[in-house]
Amino acid sequence: MTSVNASAPPVLQLDRLARRRAGRTAVQDLSLALPPGQVLGLLGVNGAGKSTTLAMIAGALRPDSGAIHLKGEDFLERPELARRLIGWLPERAPVWPELTVTEHLDAHGRLRGLAGTALRAARDATLARLELQPLARRLAGTLSQGQRQRLGLACALLHRPALLVLDEPANALDPVQVTVLRALIREQAAAGTAVILSTHVLVEVTAVCDRVAILHEGRLRHDGPVRADDHAALERRFFEIAMQGATLAAHAA
Amino acid sequence: MFRLELRRLRVQPLAWVLLALSLAWLGWCFTRLLGDFLAGEIQRAALPDGPGYVDLVAVPLLGQLAQLAFLVVPLLAMSTLAGERRNGTLPLLFAAGLPASRIVLGKYAVLLLWLLAWLLLTLAMPLSLAHATTPDWGKLAAATLGIALMLAALAALAVAASTFTAHPAIAAAVALLLGLALWTVNLGAQMAGIDDGAINWLAMSTHEQNLLRGLVSTADILWFVLLIVVCLALATRRLAADKERG
Repeated sequence: MTSVNASAPPVLQLDRLARRRAGRTAVQDLSLALPPGQVLGLLGVNGAGKSTTLAMIAGALRPDSGAIHLKGEDFLERPELARRLIGWLPERAPVWPELTVTEHLDAHGRLRGLAGTALRAARDATLARLELQPLARRLAGTLSQGQRQRLGLACALLHRPALLVLDEPANALDPVQVTVLRALIREQAAAGTAVILSTHVLVEVTAVCDRVAILHEGRLRHDGPVRADDHAALERRFFEIAMQGATLAAHAA
Repeated sequence: MFRLELRRLRVQPLAWVLLALSLAWLGWCFTRLLGDFLAGEIQRAALPDGPGYVDLVAVPLLGQLAQLAFLVVPLLAMSTLAGERRNGTLPLLFAAGLPASRIVLGKYAVLLLWLLAWLLLTLAMPLSLAHATTPDWGKLAAATLGIALMLAALAALAVAASTFTAHPAIAAAVALLLGLALWTVNLGAQMAGIDDGAINWLAMSTHEQNLLRGLVSTADILWFVLLIVVCLALATRRLAADKERG
């Protein structure tokens, strides 16, 4: 499955990342590195810190402490690096309801530094790859949640980022679209894009990921390779970590 | 940012409805003012220094536009940032590496462009008959500058109000109230016959009325510029804090 170049310098490096949100620790002491072409599955129960982590990596949220390096450059010092290096699909794929699908892609392309012929070529290729051509003139506000998700994915892929950050991308997709999504993620990885995929669906991880990181209560509790035939072992490990917190809470009560 | 915002404003029905309704109202005001001007022409002919076309038609028409602006500008600007927050699209702008200042300035620039078009379309009404009269161009230019500054200040106020909430209606209400408060803050002092002091300096009406009378002073212009800078700086700080807070 993997096309990872382990000797290549990491696309993404997190060093002791920490962030508090709404008065509680959302992410704490998180360190990991992601080489090009690797698909990392970020697993965790609700509130484990996955979305906060991804928002920090995408540049939408500043960490309280720690460092983020993108291709060796300090991302916190140079937030403009996000423009060309990162493609981000946030949870629930937010859209501008008054813009059409094509206008969305144009707007995202311009925000990411594309213009003219390069923008048009990237837009047409992305529309075709995600089978969005029939929806090209539809207003984003009239799309179903699954269609919005595909539009969000198209916006994230448009500028061919070095790092693709996907927050629960399979949300609201039908089984056929989920299969297309998995193929797309593997295709991106094969082309050298590093991918972080947040989910709480274990099957998603074993189907597309090379490596899995499990977050629990904001801390990294597991980081290791994934084998497609080892779903049971991953499930066991996940529940061990998730239930550990629940058991401790029950004891405390 | 500018092109994205321009496109969003262009497809907003509210912007077109506001433009059409306000211009229809101003058109009606213009014909009424013109009718009054023509009716009083014979009496004014006896006064060598009496009020002219600019005093009786153009400036009162701009005054009508100024009154409408208290309502139109907040309605037009209410979604600029409150809408982004409500749609959840603000993080997408941050994630594109855009600094808060660029987001605020991009949105403000588009708003200014719309308001400038509104002002020019209104101004076109009295100017269409300027060739048949002898207008006081200096007074008209000063009044136009005054209205342009007032629109720019109200727009900055409305953009700032829009950064503090996710509900456009609340943003519009706050901008309307703040605008009216800034205009009338010296009302009590004026009723008591006090014409100077800090409270009068604070009021927008003091500075606007000078410009509408044709008196251009650096102090009045600076007052508007100061208000614009303070509002935009507040909006930028609030937006930057959003990124920090998440």
